[in-house]
Amino acid sequence: MKLYAYCLAESVEEFTVPVNGISGAPVRQLALDGLVALVSDLEIASVPVTRENALMHEAVVRTVMNQTTPLPFRFGTLATAEQIQSYVSARKTALESRFALVRGCVEMSVKIIWNASFNDLKVELPKSQNEEGPGAAFLLKKKREIVGSERLASEAAELKQWLSDQIQGLVREEQVSLRPTEKLVLAASHLVERDAVATYTQKLTAARLERPELHFLVSGPWAPYSFANIDLEFEMHFGVS
Amino acid sequence: MSSPFEQVLINGDVEQLETADLSLLETLDHVLSKGLVIAGEITISVADIELIFVGLNVLVTSVETAKKVVRERQTGNE
Repeated sequence: MKLYAYCLAESVEEFTVPVNGISGAPVRQLALDGLVALVSDLEIASVPVTRENALMHEAVVRTVMNQTTPLPFRFGTLATAEQIQSYVSARKTALESRFALVRGCVEMSVKIIWNASFNDLKVELPKSQNEEGPGAAFLLKKKREIVGSERLASEAAELKQWLSDQIQGLVREEQVSLRPTEKLVLAASHLVERDAVATYTQKLTAARLERPELHFLVSGPWAPYSFANIDLEFEMHFGVS
Repeated sequence: MSSPFEQVLINGDVEQLETADLSLLETLDHVLSKGLVIAGEITISVADIELIFVGLNVLVTSVETAKKVVRERQTGNE
């Protein structure tokens, strides 16, 4: 039998009512080196990715969120108690650091969709380069693509800065990815203190009115999924995984 | 702690129409691609499932589909 792991927490009070998770299995606490893992006993080899299972995973994490800020496991984490214990023991310092970062916070998610695309850009090049001939035309087309990509990248970077300015002082840490050539140009995860969520939402609501040409998708509060991957951090710092 | 499913906000006419779907996509975006990973212990099944992985671009598609439906409904009501 394996354990399905939902999240790690610094401490969780006993649930006043039974909490069920994946496949309806009861959720229990597993004490680990001063931390607590929320797990269910499952006799399955893998976890089907279904709407119900995904929502159930999130629901259990959310139940813990009502008490404290956990570090969620990624969906589908099945391991033995020994494996979870070993994982926590080997990464105790990194986990403590993560808990210190997210303590008292939630994650807010912002996605911005724009209509800008390379095909919409009118890239004017100096007339001296507008020479005829298939070779020149090919090179001019390539140059327009390069100039267009640079312009999209610049506009995306300005958008990132604009968003950052709107919520200045409200975000403890952020992760932002830009994809200037795609419609979903910006995806940001913000770590926001619980007391500041209402202000954060108000600021973003006002910001959306400033930019009616953009589509915004704002969601949260979430457990800090985007700030929990300590192995990614290790890989980024040391270049290995 | 309120539910994120009630707080998905987007501009325009799709706001009411697709909230449930967008909430699900946002949930999948979080639970499937982020979080603590015990190396080698992610065991998900992709056989006989109703929903596999929904990426960010599908989210965009969802918005665009919703807009199209709204336009079609408006046209149909005229």
